[in-house]
Amino acid sequence: MKPEIQALLAALETEGYITEPATATAVFLAREMRKPLLVEGDAGVGKTELAKVLARLLDTELIRLQCYEGLDVQTALYEWDYPRQLLRLRMSEGRGEDPREVEARIFSRDYLLERPLLRAITRPDRAPVLLIDEVDRSDDGFEAFLLELLSDFQATIPELGTIRAEHPPYVVLTSNRTRELGDALRRRCLYLFMEHPSLEKEVRIIRTRWPKAQGRLAREVGRFLQALRARPLVKSPGVAETLDWTQALLSLRQESLEPEVVTQTLGCLLKDRHDLEALTPSEVASLVTLAREESLP
Amino acid sequence: MRDLPLRLARLGRALRAHGVVTTLRDELDAVEALALVDRGDREEVRRALRIALKIPRADFETYDRLFDGFWRAVPDGMPVAPRRPVERPVAARGPALHWDPDTRRLSTGARPSAQGERPGYSPEALLRRKPFDEDWSGRDLVRMERALARLARRLATRRSRRLVPTRGRGRADVRASYRRALRTSGELVTLARRARAVEEPRVAFLLDTSGSMDAHTRFLLTFALTLRRAAPRAEVFAFNTALVPLTRSLTPGKVRLTLDRLAASVADWSGGTRIGECLSRFYEDHLAREAAGQTVVVVLSDGLDRGDPGRLAAAARRIRGRARRLIWLNPLLGDPRYEPAAAGMQAALPFVDHFASAHDLESLERLVPHLAG
Repeated sequence: MKPEIQALLAALETEGYITEPATATAVFLAREMRKPLLVEGDAGVGKTELAKVLARLLDTELIRLQCYEGLDVQTALYEWDYPRQLLRLRMSEGRGEDPREVEARIFSRDYLLERPLLRAITRPDRAPVLLIDEVDRSDDGFEAFLLELLSDFQATIPELGTIRAEHPPYVVLTSNRTRELGDALRRRCLYLFMEHPSLEKEVRIIRTRWPKAQGRLAREVGRFLQALRARPLVKSPGVAETLDWTQALLSLRQESLEPEVVTQTLGCLLKDRHDLEALTPSEVASLVTLAREESLP
Repeated sequence: MRDLPLRLARLGRALRAHGVVTTLRDELDAVEALALVDRGDREEVRRALRIALKIPRADFETYDRLFDGFWRAVPDGMPVAPRRPVERPVAARGPALHWDPDTRRLSTGARPSAQGERPGYSPEALLRRKPFDEDWSGRDLVRMERALARLARRLATRRSRRLVPTRGRGRADVRASYRRALRTSGELVTLARRARAVEEPRVAFLLDTSGSMDAHTRFLLTFALTLRRAAPRAEVFAFNTALVPLTRSLTPGKVRLTLDRLAASVADWSGGTRIGECLSRFYEDHLAREAAGQTVVVVLSDGLDRGDPGRLAAAARRIRGRARRLIWLNPLLGDPRYEPAAAGMQAALPFVDHFASAHDLESLERLVPHLAG
C-alpha cells in the first residue's frame, strides 16, 4: 500500500473514523485528482460522516447541501436579499441619489445571500469540503445543474457576472440509491461503494465511540449485528444503529447480551415493523447464543 | 508494468463486452489513478481502478474476475474480450396476421382454440366487461378510445414538487413579490405566486406481440394510437424476440396503413417471446440514455417468456431504477383462473410498481385513479 494512503487511513482512524482501505484509497484519489467523490451505500454505513471527517482532517470548513425533491437554485446557489434592497431603495429616495448608483449598490455582493453552493466556491483562504447529501433525492433538473457546477466550479449570476472558484472545493456526494443517478454525473466523479463494516472493524468502531464497552459487550454486539444483517431484512441496521444500541445497552448497565434485554431494545436496530415482527423471541435467543458463544476466547 | 495504457484499454474492452459500461473518460481517470497508487500492491490497484472506472456494486464480481486477467504479469495472458454470446431466437412463427376490414379486427386467419386461450372471456354481454379479444362495434370503439385517452393523459402528466410562477392561485412568492416591488420603487402592488409544476413525463409503451398475446393485438394497437394522440412524448415499442421501435410508424387516422407497416417492420409478429432480452435492450438503448426518473414505462404482456427468468428480473430491476414507475398490464389477469405463475412474470413482479389487469374497459377505468402522482 502506498505510504500516503496508509497514513490517510491512520489519520481517519485518529479522527475516530475506522474504515476499509478502499475508502482511504478513494479519498486519496479524490484529493489528488481533484475530482468529486460519489459515495453510495446503505443508510447508516457512514457516508455523510466521511465528509465531516474529511473536513476535520483537512482543517477546513464543511459546507453541506441537503438535497430534496424541488430543491431549486435559489436555495442551493444564491438569492438576493430583497427586504434589504427595498430598505436601501426607500432610504435613497429621500436623499435624491443617482438611480444608477443605487442600482449598482443594491445589486452588489453586499446584498447577495450566499447559499451552500456559492459559498463553496467563494471561500477566499482555502478549499472547503462541500457535502452534497442524498443527491438521489433531488430531481434530475437539479442533477443537470450540478453537473455544470462540478465541471467548472463556476456560477453565473446575471447581475454580477461569472464567479469562478479560486479554491475549488473538495466535493463529496452521497446517495442512498432511491433512484439511479444519471450516467453523466456518475462519470464525472470517482465512485465508492461503502459496505457494512467487517466484524473486526465494527468492534473497533464500537470501542472507539463507547470506550466503556470494553470486554465482551462490544464483541457480542458486533457478532449479533453481523448475524442480523445476514438475515433478509427490509432495512439493514447500519453503524449508526449499532452505536445507538450499544449506548442503550450501556445505559442499562449490560455487560453481556441477554435475550430479554435484546428483545426490549431491538427497536434501536430494526426500524421497520415487518423486520421487528419477523424476528421471534426464539430467533432472538438463538442469535444471542450465537453471538455469545463466538465471543468466548 | 509497462504498456499500461494498452492493458487498461483491454480491461475496458473486456468490461464493456461483459456489459459493464466504461467510457474513454473512465479509462483516462484510471490511468491517472494508477499513477497515484502503489502499483506493486495488487489489492490497492484493484481498489483504485474500481473507484476510477466507477464500477457499480452489481458489477463488482465481473470486475474482480476481469481484473485478475488484467493483472497477470505476462502481457499475452490478457484474456481476449469474449464476444457477446449470440443467442439465436428460437423460430416460433405464429400464423400470419391480416387485417379483416369487415370485422375491423386483426386476425390470424384461424381463431385460437377456446380452452384457456381466450382469457377474460365472460358470458354476460356487458359492454364494459367485453374482453378486448371479442368483436367490437364502432360505438364500443369510441368509448374505449375515450377511456384510453384518460388513462394516457393520467400517465403522461404529473404534479412536480418544484414550484413555478403562476398567474392563478398558488402560494405567495415573497421573493418574486419583492422583486416586482422594485419596479414600483418598493410598493408591493401585486403578489407573485407559485404553484406546483405540471410535468410531462415521457411514457414508453412496450407491446408484447407474441403468439400468446395475439387476441389482444387490436387493443394494444388502439392503446398505442390513442396514447400517441394524448401524449405526444410517448414512445411505442413492439417486442417478441426483438425490440422494434414503432413510434414513427404510428400515424393516427391511418390505422390500416399502420397495421400493414407494422406487420412488415416487426420481425417476428406473433412468434415466441424473449421478454428479458427485449427489456434489457430497451433499457440499454433507450432508458439509460435519458435523464432518470422521467419515463413511465408501461409493459403490456402476459409474461409468458421463453427466455431466462433471471434475465427478465435483472432487466426489470434496472428499468425500475431509472424509470419514474414501471407498470405492467396483463390481459390474462382478467381470467379468474389465472395466477401470475409464469416464471417470467414471477421474476419481474417484485420490481413492478403497479401490476394490473387490462382485458376490458372496466379494468382500464379502474386503473386511472391508481396512476396519480
